Amino acid sequence: MTAAPAAAETAAAKPDERLAYRGPIQRLLIRPEIGALIGAAVIWIFFWAVTDVFGTTAGVNNYLDVSATLGIMSVAVALLMIGGEFDLSSGAMTGATGMLVVLLVKETGEFGGAGFPAIVAIPLTLAFALAIGWANGTMVEKTALPSFIVTLGTFFILRGAKLGFAKLFTDKVIVEGLDDAPDHGFWENIFGAVWVRNDHVWDSFLGGRDVVYGVLLTAGALLLVYGILELTFQRRSQLASGSMPVAAGGIIVALAGLIALTATDGSGANWIWGSVMTVGAAAGLYGIAAWRYERLPRPEGALDLGGSTGRNVVVGLGAVVLGVVVGLTLDSESQTELGFLLTTQGLRAIAFAGLVIFGAILLLLAARNAGKTSPRSQMILTALTSIVVVALAFIVQSEADSRKFRAEFFAVLLATAFVVFLVGVLRTMFVERRAADETADKRGRMLAMGGVTLAFVAVAIRLLWSTTAENDVLPGRVTWRVSVLYFLLFAAVASYVLLRTRFGSWTFAVGGNKNAARQVGVPAARTKTALFMVVAGAGWLVGMLIAFRLNSVQANVGDGQEFFYIIAAVVGGNLLTGGYGSVIGAAIGAVIMAMSFQGIPFAGWNSDWRFLFVGAILLLAVLVNNYVRSKAEAAS
Amino acid sequence: MSEPALLELENISKYYGNIIALTGVTTSVNAGEVTCVLGDNGAGKSTFIKIIAGAHQQSEGTLKVEGEEVMFDSPRDALARGIATVYQDLAVVPLMSVWRNFFLGAEPTRGWGPFKRVDQETASKIAKEEMAKMGIDIRDTEQPVGTLSGGERQSVAIARAAYFGAKVLILDEPTSALGVKQSGVVLRYIIEARNRGLGVIFITHNPNHAFPVGDRFLILNRGRSMGNFAKDEITRDELIMMMAGGAELEELTRELEAASAGDESLAHVAEEFAEELEQLGGAEHDGD
Repeated sequence: MTAAPAAAETAAAKPDERLAYRGPIQRLLIRPEIGALIGAAVIWIFFWAVTDVFGTTAGVNNYLDVSATLGIMSVAVALLMIGGEFDLSSGAMTGATGMLVVLLVKETGEFGGAGFPAIVAIPLTLAFALAIGWANGTMVEKTALPSFIVTLGTFFILRGAKLGFAKLFTDKVIVEGLDDAPDHGFWENIFGAVWVRNDHVWDSFLGGRDVVYGVLLTAGALLLVYGILELTFQRRSQLASGSMPVAAGGIIVALAGLIALTATDGSGANWIWGSVMTVGAAAGLYGIAAWRYERLPRPEGALDLGGSTGRNVVVGLGAVVLGVVVGLTLDSESQTELGFLLTTQGLRAIAFAGLVIFGAILLLLAARNAGKTSPRSQMILTALTSIVVVALAFIVQSEADSRKFRAEFFAVLLATAFVVFLVGVLRTMFVERRAADETADKRGRMLAMGGVTLAFVAVAIRLLWSTTAENDVLPGRVTWRVSVLYFLLFAAVASYVLLRTRFGSWTFAVGGNKNAARQVGVPAARTKTALFMVVAGAGWLVGMLIAFRLNSVQANVGDGQEFFYIIAAVVGGNLLTGGYGSVIGAAIGAVIMAMSFQGIPFAGWNSDWRFLFVGAILLLAVLVNNYVRSKAEAAS
Repeated sequence: MSEPALLELENISKYYGNIIALTGVTTSVNAGEVTCVLGDNGAGKSTFIKIIAGAHQQSEGTLKVEGEEVMFDSPRDALARGIATVYQDLAVVPLMSVWRNFFLGAEPTRGWGPFKRVDQETASKIAKEEMAKMGIDIRDTEQPVGTLSGGERQSVAIARAAYFGAKVLILDEPTSALGVKQSGVVLRYIIEARNRGLGVIFITHNPNHAFPVGDRFLILNRGRSMGNFAKDEITRDELIMMMAGGAELEELTRELEAASAGDESLAHVAEEFAEELEQLGGAEHDGD
């Protein structure tokens, strides 16, 4: 028996003890797109290591170009999926709108071409696409049939119409002649514009492209690290402004070292300026931390290797040594093929990387474990781990054949060692925050986001502009299509709409629990129909991009692509059942698909294997999503 | 009381074709009072809610809101009159955050044109405050509602209805799927809502939940009103007896006795049942 009035009196507000504080990293890890982001990084590193082209501008251009049309659609499909529906006609829609616009401007007169100018044909095509989207949505809403069935019908209608009309008008399975339009040039600038990288040389402005790239990238990294510090550590009640000059001086030295590093040549100068830069960055970050965050007492006590810590250290070091031994003994020249993916060279790399990563992770775990009892042990073990990483960097440098391992990978390994060491030191010196702090959280988030944005701008500059030296060396031309720009813009706008507007809220709601949404006054039918129209509109955009690319469209363009859109959305963390997901995740999912499709031929493997690859990625993504969902929805 | 009741029902009946779903129901809901509607399965509770919530129209009888006779065309109509319904399983979207659920369909915005966006800070702050008024401290309004307990989820819907100006709150079986403790939590929110001056219609088939919080009891059985009592006119036992229908219970006892011939354990059950019935029956006679 429940005595309600008595219970009401004890209802005094008290903090909910069941809610533990979640640090910034944990909060980041439950985002739906994080799995896709990690997956993209792993796949990128994999193909970067096994191919020559993948990491170059030409390679990036290649898979970003493929991901653009795929990505625009998967972003739209992800929105619809979050709203709880599918659109199987989305693939055929891209081809249908492309064909329709060609047929409308084609100048053969009579039946085969209407001869409209593009300014009439393009809006007419958009109206056609939106009408189909509206019809899809309305049918699904009025009949309450699964959208799977309704849009399967639309898919076959569009597919049949494409082939039928193409044959009827041209007797071929292709329609041609978009350039018949009198205003073709104007519209080609919008849908077919290209940016030839080789023609855009940036040699001396602001010290040259590479200086600007390096400075922006470093500044971005510093901002990101500062943001993470702000999110992680407890602020002092009174700022120690005495450390501010250390912070500012360190950062200035780091940037100066970087500029000198890019401006000078030769291995000796590289070493000097690289060291200057590292010392500066370390001093700068230490200065920031000492200025703002609360100190821990000086770590004391002897080195404690009790329990699993000692075992982890031994096994970890053993694994690293074994990895090095295997790497050095296997013949690096041999290309003997033992099976799929497994040349002797490949085996060597896999064994080396696998054992070494395993060992390093064990060492870091040991360090963390030791930190529970003795901060000093943590510091020593972290230092040991970074020394191991530095040693590995030198082994790689002396052993590897290609420049990318000897120079770039070497630098990345050194930077990793630096970060591992710095994190270890800071964690033993300053107090980690264990409670929410809105202003610190907000500032930390803005700093981190600013850092990531700067890094993106830096990479974009590097990808879009060439230098005279590069033009002399590189054989081919790199041509960026405007479709990549549309992809990025569309993903950004869609993400804004989903996360920040009422329509976005309603999208989540109709996908998560349509009846509840309707009950509180969300126009559920209108929201879903609008989502179908967004997908159709995206199909129109992609149709225009395809049509203006070649001025002709094949009848089978887009057929079957709808599954890749859905796969990209699922890989990006969107739930098939709706109500949860991210369009940024879907965009990353599209890039993952494009990277796998293009990376396999780059690596010189038979591209018959690529569906195996895509299937494995899909399964993995679904398993991860399932796990995340059970965490997020863990009910009572 | 000179002021008219928030909601008054007089001889409400509802027919679906030749099926009489509800007949001759009279009751009232006052501000700051809880009216409990009790009945077993099939008693007509759902029909009763649907009429007040505007989903169906009554076939006969009058419905008065603050003294004014009305006939609702749609749930939106009822909502505009300040009558909000919280359905047990339709109340919230589990995968969405607390503040998004709280403001779903009525999100505060700022900015204009294409930059019109949901004002997350305000929404989050208000949601936190309103939940605190219900006695729940939501530390992180970003957490999905699905991570709250069943009772807390109901309370999100109740706090939301109260915040958006509901005068009459209809709660459809809010405790039926909950455990003992969670039911207690929901009953507490009902009291909180009542103390804030709302009229509450609490629909349940559990008289033990209804009696402690109710100010007025409407008992339905097979579409008929078995009576409309103020709290001082009825005891808990009478309530239970009337709800189940005394005659039916007696019949059930006889059936149990017949079936238990030769089965000892069943005979025991029948015996206990008869005993309980006797006690209830006595209470009923005392009440008359």
